[in-house]
Amino acid sequence: MMELFFKPKSVAVIGASTNPKKDGNLILQNIIDSDFSGDIYPINPSADEVLGLKAYPSVKDVPGNVDLAVIIIPAKFCVDAMRACGEKGVKAVIIEAMGFAEVGGEGTKLQEQIVAIAKEKNIRVMGPNCTGIVSRDITTTFFPMKDVPQGNVVLIGQSGLLAAAMSSDLVVNKSLSINKVCSIGNKCDVNENDLLDYFGDDPQTEVISMYLESIADGSKFVPIAKRVAAKKPVIFLKGGRTEAGARAAMSHTGSMASDTKIVEAAIKQTGLIKADDFTEIKDWAKVFSTQPLPKGNRVAIVTAAGSVGVVVSDICAEHGLEMPKLSDVTIERLKDVFPPNMPPSNPVDLWYSIEKLGLVKTLESTLAAPLEDPGIDAAVLILAGMKYTMPVLDDKTVQKITAKYKKPVIICMLVGYNEYKNRIMEELGKDLPVFTSILSGVKALSKLCEYGIRRHKNAS
Amino acid sequence: MTANAVLAQAKKENRSVLTEIEAKQILAEAGISCTDTQLAPVKEKAVAIAEEMGYPVVLKISSVDITHKSDAGGVKVNLKSKEEVEKAFDEITTSCKTAYPNAHIEGISVQSMAKPGLEIIMGMIKDANFGPVVMFGLGGVLVEVLKDVSFRIVPIEKADAIEMIDEIKGKKLLEGYRGQPPADVPYLQDMLVKLSNFVHNTPQVKEIDMNPLFAYEDGAVVVDARIILED
Repeated sequence: MMELFFKPKSVAVIGASTNPKKDGNLILQNIIDSDFSGDIYPINPSADEVLGLKAYPSVKDVPGNVDLAVIIIPAKFCVDAMRACGEKGVKAVIIEAMGFAEVGGEGTKLQEQIVAIAKEKNIRVMGPNCTGIVSRDITTTFFPMKDVPQGNVVLIGQSGLLAAAMSSDLVVNKSLSINKVCSIGNKCDVNENDLLDYFGDDPQTEVISMYLESIADGSKFVPIAKRVAAKKPVIFLKGGRTEAGARAAMSHTGSMASDTKIVEAAIKQTGLIKADDFTEIKDWAKVFSTQPLPKGNRVAIVTAAGSVGVVVSDICAEHGLEMPKLSDVTIERLKDVFPPNMPPSNPVDLWYSIEKLGLVKTLESTLAAPLEDPGIDAAVLILAGMKYTMPVLDDKTVQKITAKYKKPVIICMLVGYNEYKNRIMEELGKDLPVFTSILSGVKALSKLCEYGIRRHKNAS
Repeated sequence: MTANAVLAQAKKENRSVLTEIEAKQILAEAGISCTDTQLAPVKEKAVAIAEEMGYPVVLKISSVDITHKSDAGGVKVNLKSKEEVEKAFDEITTSCKTAYPNAHIEGISVQSMAKPGLEIIMGMIKDANFGPVVMFGLGGVLVEVLKDVSFRIVPIEKADAIEMIDEIKGKKLLEGYRGQPPADVPYLQDMLVKLSNFVHNTPQVKEIDMNPLFAYEDGAVVVDARIILED
């Protein structure tokens, strides 16, 4: 059933406008610009043609089958459009129009009517008040979007504008290997449970990042989320972390229970990865989608500035990461790039070697050796936005080294000139996770280690 | 009476609150050990139960209408003889009838007195969205002031029970503190799983409050329990 949303053979756009400034026009253009190769039917009672495609007054007038209908007309007309879809035999509908349950009153009644028709006619409805899907196969958002990657990350968002805005950031800037972005709005029918279930079994999807303001059906959510999280990482940001409030305090236990505590219990119980901010759901998706899962939490810090070592140690400890001593073999290997009076240790201080050999040569030993150390599970590389770092970008040194060892590496960039920092972010950031603070980088790595350890434990 | 019979009886009487005796019967059937608790409608029966159980015993008013039993003078503990039981029976009856003149009193429950242990609370509530949720916490001040409790959504597995107990901030107390023996944590984990299984299979239960429950070096026992049914 969900296939009809993501891989329809034919699609109608109800409200396809000839005005290039209108959402109905932009949606049609996005579908045309995607790889969608099926039949596209603009529905517009006052035009013969929209964007070069023959238009029909109603979805009922379309000659062939319609797998998916996208509705972008004012809320008060959506009920009639739904009825027409029902008569036509459409089984999947995305309602992008606003003015439903989110505004209350009359809008809530309209949404109830939509749900009633959907039930009667066996139609699955995404939305209303959403932007639908962004993918290479089909894009139904009204933000202009081209060349969506065929990556391994699925982003699920409840908020329409946010999902759309985030996908423009991720797709256009190519900062994340997106496969699909789904905006599910008011979730009158299709909700996170349907999508988690679907993407849990979708072989192209390796990482799921999700932002929800509400959980539609908690008792179904728990077993589904648990099943999916055991197979692939699901990063989850829950908005509306309010205090208990409405809960009836009948007994001692009931009075202490708050929604927040129960949602947090559900997150722990299912093995979801709890994020606290929007940047985390996209940054962590970058980490999980580009880095292998570690088997442990033993981290090597490789840094151009030795003085950050103390703070890194604190942050690692606070996030459950260990910074063990390097093995004798590793220390022996590193001796050449360390000054005679300073034995190599963790954090690995690069400064002496950079001055002597340059950063490319330095990293070839100082990043590779700890990654080869059997006592190390992951590495944090701290780079500076300085001119001396640039040859590493041109040479793709870090990419080469990380590709060789099956251990995760994250990069933190602390200081430097914007000119160089931007280049690191742009160039290295396409292939690898680059963070602008130690805290955010180490936190992300700790989530990767936590998940990796859990998966490893469950597998054995 | 079996759990089903207790539930059927409550339904017949159009009652959503079970008595402590009923609650403990149901929990015991679910494999959760509770203090031996029996109903004495009259004084002579109370003495007979106490003699059979062995002293010391606890006497508690049995009435679904009296929620705050201690405040109503409805609880007497550490009774060591026939005479003490008889005296306590009369005092409880008088005191509760004064405090709750309209309450329906079915009698007085006689309970074996549990030896002191580490105070724990366990319970279940229903969340409108997630359904039944089990709760674990350390009793007394820790739960009342610090709200140091953990939740999991039913059904739980052993691994969830382990995490639930592990995430309590005051968990050090379970390891033994100032000469106190450590608590039997694996036993508590099993109790949580049994509670979850019971709740999962008994949808008509709306709320369970086991407070307190005494944990020992070897095992644990529910001292007081309250069960509320769905309307």
